[in-house]
Amino acid sequence: MEDSKLLIVDDEENFRNAIVRRLKKRGQAVIEADCAESALSIMANDSIDVVVSDIKMPGMDGLRFLKQIKSRYPACEVILITGHASATDGVSGIKEGAFDYLTKPIALDHLINKINHAREKINRKIAEEKDAIFKESIRQKMIATERLASLGTLSAGVAHEINNPLAIINEACGWMKTILASDKMKDIPRKNDLDKALSKIENSIVRVRNITHHLLQFSRKPDNIISDVNINQLINETIQFLNKEMTSKNIQILVKNKTNAIVIGSDPAQIRQVLLNVMTNAIHASYPDETIEICISNQNKGVYLDIKDKGEGIPPENLDKVFEPFFTTKAPGEGTGLGLFVIKGIIENLKGKISLTSQLGQGSQCSIFFPCLYQKE
Amino acid sequence: MITIPINILLVDDEKDFVEMLSLRLTENKESVFSASNGKECLEIIEKNSIDVIILDLKMPGMDGIQTLKEIKARSPLIEVIMLTGHGTAETAVDGMKLGAFDYLLKPCDFDILMQKLDAARKRKEDQEERIRQAEAKLLLRRSGVI
Repeated sequence: MEDSKLLIVDDEENFRNAIVRRLKKRGQAVIEADCAESALSIMANDSIDVVVSDIKMPGMDGLRFLKQIKSRYPACEVILITGHASATDGVSGIKEGAFDYLTKPIALDHLINKINHAREKINRKIAEEKDAIFKESIRQKMIATERLASLGTLSAGVAHEINNPLAIINEACGWMKTILASDKMKDIPRKNDLDKALSKIENSIVRVRNITHHLLQFSRKPDNIISDVNINQLINETIQFLNKEMTSKNIQILVKNKTNAIVIGSDPAQIRQVLLNVMTNAIHASYPDETIEICISNQNKGVYLDIKDKGEGIPPENLDKVFEPFFTTKAPGEGTGLGLFVIKGIIENLKGKISLTSQLGQGSQCSIFFPCLYQKE
Repeated sequence: MITIPINILLVDDEKDFVEMLSLRLTENKESVFSASNGKECLEIIEKNSIDVIILDLKMPGMDGIQTLKEIKARSPLIEVIMLTGHGTAETAVDGMKLGAFDYLLKPCDFDILMQKLDAARKRKEDQEERIRQAEAKLLLRRSGVI
């Protein structure tokens, strides 16, 4: 709204010119119109936040003009100007949604005051709307998180409740199969039909069991599956994966390796998720045609990674907040604000550390440590 | 071929499950005892010679892990296979650290259960055999033969 302008509408040319000239001297961006009709056509093309309009005008008068403005541009504020003897027009204007009215003759300071107040009201409304949108987006995220959590609890409960009776069916079915397989039962009539039915039951038990075991997996936090992790290889894989994002901004990733191929014991799937997230952040933060540096070093029975971008950096007041859930500087809907929060959780789960340093205008550096999780024998 | 039945004790609060699995194991020529809680389980191992216990982890009163600790305190040679109907593989792994032989998720595959039962019994027999040999050596040494 910074470049929004003021619109003065009055059919009396002298009065209008005088006011416009004096307002311009005070630094206001002003457009003028000599009647409501031409004012409306100006408003269709220009961004007008406050209208100062005379009430008595030939053609469309000020009150009808006000109604038009309010129906087409509800965010626009209107200050009405009345003749000295017709204050009642001003009052009915306020009832129709005008911000205020002034009586001729007009004191310029008074008018500027009113304009400033009207703009404050507009800004307040914008802030309130932004706040409402922000709160709504947070609420949506909370609902999604809670839904996921309760889905986890529910599915774990359902799976458990199903597994127990399923185990009974399983053993009962197995028992019958054993009985039918015994010598005594060799010659009973329709033995094949019974065998067939039992194997159908058995197959179905396996099917249900697969479902319940998957549900239980989903609701559990991931177990660390510790194996050899070749950090260099994982980084190269991640770079390949991000190739499209990199080429679209013409960004290079320079991997500086202080040691040769580093292998530690950790969970490769979780480390891959961390690398993907952190490197995507670096690409998003970088200006086009820049280089991202990744330094790998081997210390303290683990691996240190420094991911350096030359982007705009993070203001100090935000640096503490980046690991908080739902903190994002992106527009609503573009970022969940959960990326670094989840990443921090994963790294801590792997007994590692993450920290972020940044200088405004120079870029950010993300430092991560992954320890080797093999137990020494 | 004559196979010596494994003396199995089934511990689970789900009575239908205990009944069905014990009938199935009995049909497979195993010797089965059953208990519906930790207390009964401990009483049975006092009075009977049990090789392997199949123990449910989730029971009211004394839970599986507590029962396991008691079993291992009283009869450390009895092998325990834990059963879990829940996704609590972590608890089962904790149980193995406390001396349980292995664990299975409910409902379990019968062939795998039988393999684990055999392996558990074998481990118990091997251990008992080593103890016998050690005792025999001890006796010989005491009697001055060596």
